[in-house]
Amino acid sequence: MSKLGNRADWADDEEFDDPSALPAQQVISNKDGTKTVISYRFNDESKKVKVTRRIKTTVVKEHVNPQVAERRSWPKFGLEKGHAVGPSFDTTSVGENIVFRPSINWKAQAAEADKNPEKGSMKDQLKDKKVKCRICSGEHFTARCPFKDTMAPVEEASAGGAEGDAEEAAAGGLGAGSSSYVPPHMRKGAAAGGERMAGKYEKDDLATLRVTNVSELAEEGEVRDLFERFGRVTRVFLARDRETQRAKGFAFISFADRSDAARACEKMDGFGYRHLILRVEFAKRAT
Amino acid sequence: MRPILLSGHERSLNQIKFNSDGDLLFSVSKDKVVCAWWSANGERLGTYNGHQGAIWTVDVSPNTILLATGSADNTVRLWNVKTGECVKVWDFPTAVKRVEFNPEGTQLLAVTEKRMGFLGTITVLDINYDNNFENQAEEPSLRITCDESKATVAGWSYLSKYIIAGHEDGSVSQYDAKTGDLEKNVQAHEFDLQINDIQFSPDRTYFITASKDKSAKLISARDLSVLKTYVADTPLNSAVITPKKDYVILGGGQAAMDVTTTSARQGKFEARFYHKIFEDEIGRVRGHFGPLNTVGVHPSGTAYASGGEDGYVRVHHFDKSYFDFMYEVEREQMRK
Repeated sequence: MSKLGNRADWADDEEFDDPSALPAQQVISNKDGTKTVISYRFNDESKKVKVTRRIKTTVVKEHVNPQVAERRSWPKFGLEKGHAVGPSFDTTSVGENIVFRPSINWKAQAAEADKNPEKGSMKDQLKDKKVKCRICSGEHFTARCPFKDTMAPVEEASAGGAEGDAEEAAAGGLGAGSSSYVPPHMRKGAAAGGERMAGKYEKDDLATLRVTNVSELAEEGEVRDLFERFGRVTRVFLARDRETQRAKGFAFISFADRSDAARACEKMDGFGYRHLILRVEFAKRAT
Repeated sequence: MRPILLSGHERSLNQIKFNSDGDLLFSVSKDKVVCAWWSANGERLGTYNGHQGAIWTVDVSPNTILLATGSADNTVRLWNVKTGECVKVWDFPTAVKRVEFNPEGTQLLAVTEKRMGFLGTITVLDINYDNNFENQAEEPSLRITCDESKATVAGWSYLSKYIIAGHEDGSVSQYDAKTGDLEKNVQAHEFDLQINDIQFSPDRTYFITASKDKSAKLISARDLSVLKTYVADTPLNSAVITPKKDYVILGGGQAAMDVTTTSARQGKFEARFYHKIFEDEIGRVRGHFGPLNTVGVHPSGTAYASGGEDGYVRVHHFDKSYFDFMYEVEREQMRK
């Protein structure tokens, strides 16, 4: 009972074994008058860090005018009457740090700072950006893409086609890069979960090839002719620009038989067509 | 440099004053209280309550025993600095725009407004420290009437020899402090643009004026010759000479009535630092949201405070770069 008596509250009891508890701070007085303070804390990666500080205490004596010293002991009066010693929060606060460096050519420096236009608003920065689909590079949002159920997003490296690398970099900024958000079920190591809504009616895109680096002047019929040599082609899609009606540089070819598709992929990869070397690979399943 | 923000006032600041030791700071504003602050940490020591109108001006005696205030309620009040009690009230026919103790602390001058048929005056009152400050003379010992252009600000020159006054028409005059005779009048600033502030150097042999004509001038108290001119791009409300370093600090900004139509940056609500001798602008300190109505400097030159139309007093203790700054010629002089 006596033990409980001198304790403020049983809730303050700290005698439990917490593995994450930090060792108590140690203070060691050294011979040369300094103190060594050893303390522990958790850093940002929640690892335990030992902090050793050596502190030297020096007493600075300040001589003030006796009148000033006498005034320091004056009691408060007026609206402050009866208030505790020390600045009160409602009348006194500390402002943000101001860098004040006097300089001879202050005027010239200030003029230069004025000249540099401040960074424009977000709207201005994004003025030249266009919406770009990550699947077919069309000018619509990825969610609105007509092929979102069948095709996987075009990866950065493989998408380098007629459109050039500069634009690819811009596309990366829109979220196709490796730093973009990956849903939990698609992350590495996660079990492939979630049945697709389409179920068994889903299109068989195991036999679909993706062809990139297709000439702008390509025609769907020509592309079909090229691939029909290897087997029955069920569908040819040649992506076109909505406005100019020119080919965008990639196409999808669906075969009836996967072995035909595999053969076509092998033979046509690297095939020269309209002065460009085709790149052919199996289309990835859209997830 | 981290400023200390003092927010004890509800309305715009009119004047701030450090005492002679620099440990206390007094501020008055358009609300009816006088605040006393510790300049080191911004703690409020107390308030002096009793005025019935906006307080235009404050001054503390050189020994930090008495405090004088002048107000729009047509009174000058004398306060006991330590206790906050009002020890004397002098009534005037019009508002009091400026009070100042002479360097000895034995006399107090009060500048009264020209209004309701009364001419502007500079009135000198004798101050008595004996017997718990009770026997103060009722009648002024001297009254100078400004019949041409009213005085807006005034102060005492070295050894209380002259009274220097700044006028509404931009001129500066020198009166004999004993007889009240006008010795000299110089049109120091542009005509019809009033002088808003006069503050003296520590030895009171010269002073700085701040005027609506966007300039501040360093003027000799002896013959009123203009020694230096500091040109700014905005009307100036206050100017002060810094001890220890040869700088002057000017405060001003767009007139208060135009403030709402301008952004904080355009309004130029900054304290401007000029080199006292070379007249160059060497830097600015930002922070206020309104024009600076008053600036004051610590008598040892280690800090300055500014009071703005925004109701804040900002106390800045200078850091090393302020003291280290030197012109090349100054450095050479140091080496010799």
